[in-house]
Amino acid sequence: MSGFLKIAIRNLLKGPTTDPYPFGDTFIPQKLRGKLKVDASECTACRTCEEVCPSGAIKITKNEGAYVHTTWYNTCCFCGNCEFFCPTGAIKLTTDFHTAHFQDEKYSFVTVAVIKETECKNCKTKFVPPSEALLKRAYNGIDIDLDELKLYCPECRKKIAFERLHLWLRH
Amino acid sequence: MSTKIPIGPFHIGLEEPIYFKIDLKGETVVNVDMINGFVHRGIEYLVMQKNFFQNLILTERVCALCSNNHPFTYVMAVEKIAGIEVSRRANYLRVVADEVKRVASHMFNLSMLAHLIGFHSLMTQTMEAREIMQDVKESIWGNRMDMSANTLSGVKYDLDEGQIEFILNKLDELEKQTDELIDIYFNNKLVKARTVNVGVLPKEDALRLGVTGPTARGSGVNNDVRVKAPYAAYDELKPTVMLEENGDVYSRMKVRWREVKESIRLIRKALNNLPEGPVVTQKRPHIPAGEAVTRTEAPRGELIYYLKTNGTQRPQRMRWRVPTYMNWEALRVMIPGNKLSDVAVIFNSIDPCISCTER
Ligand code: SF4
Ligand code: SF4
Repeated sequence: MSGFLKIAIRNLLKGPTTDPYPFGDTFIPQKLRGKLKVDASECTACRTCEEVCPSGAIKITKNEGAYVHTTWYNTCCFCGNCEFFCPTGAIKLTTDFHTAHFQDEKYSFVTVAVIKETECKNCKTKFVPPSEALLKRAYNGIDIDLDELKLYCPECRKKIAFERLHLWLRH
Repeated sequence: MSTKIPIGPFHIGLEEPIYFKIDLKGETVVNVDMINGFVHRGIEYLVMQKNFFQNLILTERVCALCSNNHPFTYVMAVEKIAGIEVSRRANYLRVVADEVKRVASHMFNLSMLAHLIGFHSLMTQTMEAREIMQDVKESIWGNRMDMSANTLSGVKYDLDEGQIEFILNKLDELEKQTDELIDIYFNNKLVKARTVNVGVLPKEDALRLGVTGPTARGSGVNNDVRVKAPYAAYDELKPTVMLEENGDVYSRMKVRWREVKESIRLIRKALNNLPEGPVVTQKRPHIPAGEAVTRTEAPRGELIYYLKTNGTQRPQRMRWRVPTYMNWEALRVMIPGNKLSDVAVIFNSIDPCISCTER
């Protein structure tokens, strides 16, 4: 027993090793995977997160003039797959681990991000413009051309880009 | 005169839901029958309903303590089918994650041993030391059990200088405490009285039953997959296989403690020699049709995955053979001839994972 006696006495002197949480501070590592934060301005409603989420916690629905990105915490397992696979970096898992809630709030305990559609400068159809994060990933730099082009819907964008190419070739 | 005693399926002395039917003569077990099937969750069917990216996480949920080995073996199977090369850095990082899990898993089992022999202060102390590894997992990967470290073609995390130093410091802290604990576990009278010559699995039986992991190594059978069929960075890191000869609970306990030390050495070696390179090469690769079998050394023993794909986004069939499935039968050899009070101790000594086995 002598071996353990040494440890026991040391422990006695050290005091409790548990944190006094919730009455005091506790150890929260910076990389802790807690509740999600979804940045609507970065998100392009590409549905990658919805596809890779193992528990079906993410649903993206189409409303009038907007896409709604909902994360439901009653099935989310905080795996971080959505964050890893999101091409624009719109999803970040925060260190907020407080997920206790009442039964009444079961369906409303969610994170919601609304991704607004904009009108095409030319044909006025609604579409989700590429976010800056996505453009930065796809192109080396964002120039004035890109800033202008992203105001058009994919159809018109194709047409305009082609016309410009045509003009440029003629010169 | 013989008495029949049931233990389980839900019993305070058992860590897992198993039903033992025990025939007793006096206090000695003469025969044991084991019935399982209480925690079947249908995961094998479920993985066929999910795509390859969702399965990275679902396989992790098969078992909490081997939760890194399941996705690890799974991604290796997918990579084999798709012919994906993994960078050296990613392979090293995979080993780091896996060995961290091995330390935590072994120490959990060892503290359970202390608990079952009634040495509770030793149990809490082992858990307290294990907490260092839990803090590492939480700080580097963000979760205490499910690290979500592996992904197709690499790993999901990278380590910078600060993080490497953090892990190395924690390892120093842990090693000091393990040395102290090892001394108690190996030499304490109470521990020895309850484990030496208890639940003996002779080498011939170990070979006949094909047991794996520390259960086999406690009986002197060297079948460490990390050495016999190296994967990831194990051919470069060269783990030492820990062998004991007696095949009793004491030997298996010794194997686990020495493997904890070996894992600490491996993590240090991997971190100090971390090659440069990308951690992931193809985030969302195409998976063609094919078949593959892969195996790794989980904390409990050899874990085998079989995967069949048909060119779609989902596995056509996936099946795995877990270490407990093999070690389980050895209980029929280990338990008879021992005291009734030793049944739970012996059961724990194969480090059973019933949720893996029944999935
Ligand atoms: S959060 Fe990311 S992955 Fe999900 S829809 Fe938005 S951009 Fe796509
Ligand atoms: S953390 Fe995992 S379970 Fe939760 S929403 Fe993201 S992918 Fe789904």
